[in-house]
Amino acid sequence: MAQAGAARGMATEKQIFNQIQSTKNIKKITSSMKMVSAAKLKGDETRLELAKPFNEWTNALCGKPVHLDDLENITYEELPQKTLIVPITSDKGLCGGVNSFISRSVRDAIGKINAQGKECDVVIIGDKGRSQMSRSFPEKILRTATDIQAPGNFNLAAALSAELTAAGAMNYDAVMIVYNSYVNAAVYHQYYKVIKPMAVEGEGESMVEYEFEPDVKSEIMGDLYEYMLTSQIYYCFMDGAAAEQSSRMTAMENASKNAGEMIDTLTLQYNRARQARITTELIEIISGASALEG
Amino acid sequence: MSTPTTFWRLAGMSYTQYVTRAATALRNGLKEPAKTQAMRNEALSYNSATWAGGKAGSKKPVQVLSEAGL
Repeated sequence: MAQAGAARGMATEKQIFNQIQSTKNIKKITSSMKMVSAAKLKGDETRLELAKPFNEWTNALCGKPVHLDDLENITYEELPQKTLIVPITSDKGLCGGVNSFISRSVRDAIGKINAQGKECDVVIIGDKGRSQMSRSFPEKILRTATDIQAPGNFNLAAALSAELTAAGAMNYDAVMIVYNSYVNAAVYHQYYKVIKPMAVEGEGESMVEYEFEPDVKSEIMGDLYEYMLTSQIYYCFMDGAAAEQSSRMTAMENASKNAGEMIDTLTLQYNRARQARITTELIEIISGASALEG
Repeated sequence: MSTPTTFWRLAGMSYTQYVTRAATALRNGLKEPAKTQAMRNEALSYNSATWAGGKAGSKKPVQVLSEAGL
């Protein structure tokens, strides 16, 4: 009977039934979240496809992004004395490992950079990164930009680079963006990019090679650096958004699959409990009947 | 830095502000159904917080490019 089962510490039939119902609800929620993510991923992929050629010119000035596949082999020796690290993370959760990879990479980078006697500070984009990194190195954080309204656009990138400038980006020797890069719906990688301002010799030297306004080379280089930084933030943000969406899709699919497996095991348990109950009821009836006869 | 020579620098705008302002002017030149669609490409909204000594300051909402980085 139910009381005997509960007294022995086993889950009763009613409890298992409730568990099955709530797991079924969770499975419905996660599979609908997966479909929403798949739809949003399409939009993010399109935006990323447009951002790629838009940002192509910066690769000639910035060097290739470095793949953060094995943190042990990354030394950060090419970084100059003062670096501003900009990790790009998501605001919403339930997106798999995207944010924890970034946090781990930044923590590792800060340790190695400080060990080399160089300085670094952090401006965090995204709420999940803020909550994870504020536990490890709160004193290094200069600014955070959270609750970003999706989808991003160039205006957002311009605003974020204005935040970086306000945090002092022009006084650093380089800006290092750490971001997730979308490969396909199942795969994403972590990269970091180093963006350095162009060196100009001579103040007030005018631009003779091309007719340009402004005419002063140092001014042109300053404007170019500003624009390059904004364009890079734009591309890395688009990349990170697509990676986050694909990771969320995978995470929700795994959650639905696990929920389905749980439902199967619980259903078997439930049937066993139900049959045990019916058997004990039958035994009671039969023994009661034979007691009356005898 | 020597005194700037461009009019927008003298007015206090950064290069990205100048460029995005020019993009807005271009979008304003579109005809009606395309215009509202293009204007959607401009919307931005986030919260910015300045940190000092390991403590977060209050969150400031940013809706327009001119509010960013204050």
